[in-house]
Amino acid sequence: MTNASEVLSSIQSAFPGAVLDSRVESDRRLWATIDSKKILDVCKHLSTKLNFDHYSGAAGVDWIARKEMEVVEIMASHGTHQVVAMLKVKTPRENPSVKSLTGLYWNANWYEREIWEMFGINFEGHPELWPLLLSDELMGAWPWRKDYKGYPDLTTGERAVKISTPEGYTEYHIPPTPAEVEAGTVVVERPKYPTLREREEKEIKSDSEMIMHLGPQHAMVPGPFLLDVLVEGERVHKAFLDLGYIHKGIEKIMENRSWLQGITYTDRMCYVASLSNNECYCGAVEKILGLEVPLRAQYIRVILEELSRIQSHLIGTGEFLTLIAGVGYAPWQYMIIDRENIISLIESVTGARLTHTFVRFGGVRNDLPAGFADQCKKVLPYMKSRTEEFIELFAQDPIYHKRMDGVGIIRPDDAKRMGVSGPPLRATGVAYDMRKEDPILVYPELDFKVVTGTKGDSADRIDVRLREMLESIHIIEQCLDRIPEGPIRTEVKVPKKVPAGEAYYRVEDPRGEMGMYVISDGGDKPYRVKVRGPFYATFQTLTPLLEGTYIADAVAIAGSMDGCPSEADR
Amino acid sequence: MDIIGSISQFAAQEPAIFALIIGVIGAAVIAAVVNVGAMLVIWGERKVLSDFCNRFGPNRVGGRWGILQLGADAIKLFTKEDIIPADADKGVYVWAPIVASMGTMLVAAAIPFGALHIGGKDYPLVVANMDISAFYVEAALSIMAIAVFMAGYSSNNKYSMLGAFRGVARMIAYEVPMGVCVISVAVMAHSLNLVEIVQSQTVWYAFAQPLGFVIFVIALITDLGRIPFDQSEAEEEIISGYNTEYSGIRWGLLYFQEYNNALLGSILLSLLFLGGWQGPIIPIPVLDIISPLIWLLMKVIIVLWFFIWVRSSLFRLRIDQVTDLGWKWMLPLSLLNLGWAVLVGSYFA
Repeated sequence: MTNASEVLSSIQSAFPGAVLDSRVESDRRLWATIDSKKILDVCKHLSTKLNFDHYSGAAGVDWIARKEMEVVEIMASHGTHQVVAMLKVKTPRENPSVKSLTGLYWNANWYEREIWEMFGINFEGHPELWPLLLSDELMGAWPWRKDYKGYPDLTTGERAVKISTPEGYTEYHIPPTPAEVEAGTVVVERPKYPTLREREEKEIKSDSEMIMHLGPQHAMVPGPFLLDVLVEGERVHKAFLDLGYIHKGIEKIMENRSWLQGITYTDRMCYVASLSNNECYCGAVEKILGLEVPLRAQYIRVILEELSRIQSHLIGTGEFLTLIAGVGYAPWQYMIIDRENIISLIESVTGARLTHTFVRFGGVRNDLPAGFADQCKKVLPYMKSRTEEFIELFAQDPIYHKRMDGVGIIRPDDAKRMGVSGPPLRATGVAYDMRKEDPILVYPELDFKVVTGTKGDSADRIDVRLREMLESIHIIEQCLDRIPEGPIRTEVKVPKKVPAGEAYYRVEDPRGEMGMYVISDGGDKPYRVKVRGPFYATFQTLTPLLEGTYIADAVAIAGSMDGCPSEADR
Repeated sequence: MDIIGSISQFAAQEPAIFALIIGVIGAAVIAAVVNVGAMLVIWGERKVLSDFCNRFGPNRVGGRWGILQLGADAIKLFTKEDIIPADADKGVYVWAPIVASMGTMLVAAAIPFGALHIGGKDYPLVVANMDISAFYVEAALSIMAIAVFMAGYSSNNKYSMLGAFRGVARMIAYEVPMGVCVISVAVMAHSLNLVEIVQSQTVWYAFAQPLGFVIFVIALITDLGRIPFDQSEAEEEIISGYNTEYSGIRWGLLYFQEYNNALLGSILLSLLFLGGWQGPIIPIPVLDIISPLIWLLMKVIIVLWFFIWVRSSLFRLRIDQVTDLGWKWMLPLSLLNLGWAVLVGSYFA
């Protein structure tokens, strides 16, 4: 087993002088600042020699006081070892530019595009630096930089200027202040890039092809996102994705809220998995604070997160079924009705059905109500028998298999390369689960299997989800047996100001690997929160996956990913 | 007695005018019966489907059974704004729902709705009792395909166009085996007249030619555009398929015709394969007269219930799988069934 210090020494011996600064947080976390000239070589070394085959994401950080920007590349391995390397690359704030990793890691594309549009950091060698989340008029404003004043500046109302365009739309523009013009720092030139429409029209080769919209408002989409398909008859030749329809800027909002208020925003990222999001944020903050969570609170968190996983899988599977069977399909309704049992259980603890805001730094908000265990013991056996019924139903349905077998196959190697996580990855046979890889809370003490599939097609993805529900039920049953009495929150008083530091914390969201990178500068607000959402990563794979399928299959494949655009956009 | 006497006198004097008047009255009655029936079918589908799905269904308008829900829906559809897309082929767009209704009424004209049992004899209730009614009905049912294509083509919408393509491809693939099945029945019955087909069923043709029965049921579901063969609408893929652009009462008409067809199709299935109105006569006064009607109604309800059951439990096939199934399996098997019908039919004869 490789550990973090071995990785560090391997880099240092291969590239003397490349590591400018380093910190080995634990066996599993390595923080290193890498010389920006050598980042490509270091990453190549990591991916070829040290099995860092999982590019988990990248975060941009604007260090305005130090007059520099940072790109943090988050790298991990698919089960070979458990080290997460956080490689920082520094670049000056004036004309920031770093080398693109798209040549090494296919899925670096979207992460770098996001950093580019939000921070204005240029990525040398990136093939398609186009806006992903932002709308056109915000391009060039670099909204996530620390000196960004808002658009329009609603607090003062001074800078917003209303302009009516010839087409009859109203646009807001922020003219530079005289001081800014004098200093020459404001350049209102917008970067040039091809629009989505131009890109689409370039691909149309013959008269028999046409672009068809599936979204942003469509019966297929689980939330607003644009999926354009280039079709010839029923055949999809190419797919185009556009995000940002519910971009809420949660990461930026959290920079302007107190540490505690931030929990509320994590709920809103994906409301069917809000407990995992809570856990991820609170876990990261606890790591910076060095808080120890009492054992009872740990068990409560695990119980609720697993319940939340069950309800998320139920609605994910159910919605998928409506895509290939229509809304009149009865098992879909059965899933929704069964889900109500789980939601009531969670509601009896947290008081809310979907947006719980339940996890706290160093504990949970309140204790389990009286009779919760009895209620669980009534519901869980029922859920278990129902889930087994569903598994059997889909295993035996010939039309289901005719529709879904071999549809949207992802091969294990491709899945790893594309950074897919969660059920879509495990369906390919790769046993990669954060609860085993990067265990948190009491997960190491619990007995559960990582459910994997064999073929990696849509049917497998659904099967994996359903069997995962059985594992979750098993986990909750163990927790209910073992949960000790005791305090539900840490004895230490949680300070309003979190000491300066940074942490990267990963949990297994129902949709896959969710990580949060939290930086504190010692203030009462986070300096930066980066959310590495699972569906953002899975989303990227849709475009290549849909090529060459039928329209009906394209819809089914997109549905089988259990999408949550709300979390992808954040 | 006086009135009947004068009517029969008038009929003797002016046979052509009398036939016309009778025809118009018959048409009005049939249109009313079919449309009210279709409304009940819609209500029944919503109620039964919600029962399958473990929910309530309509339960507000018109008491706890929601029986007036359809009236409320119809009022809503009538009062909605009628939108014709700017780039639509206006004439075709407007005519598509009308063609759809005409197709249904043409079916209704030739289909027997049952019989009255008076004095030991069955008097079939049919407006146009023609010699080839079985084939005529089967052909008129597929006028819906033309209406679907008109609607999809004229809407000038990508989803509509794809829905229309799908509808027509599906219809062509399944009309042929369906027609062959009707021929097989006719071969056994030695007639294409629906009344005679019913009367010739000493053994239900569902038992005499089970293969043909299964193929006909599948083809009928396809013809009606119901799950698992509703690719022309497939709302999760192409919004609403051929009727995406329709709104208000024009959409209502198109929607209504699907249920008209479902009603007429299930009557046709009962007539061809399930012995029609045949069944033991209930030995109670009055009820014995309408007992053939009751039997047919029961069969039709069971067939419709089966369609809803299928909808709630099966997945939608992909369009290429549908046409594959139609051309590669249904057509050869229906021909096999025709051979069987010829063999067995000649044995019975």
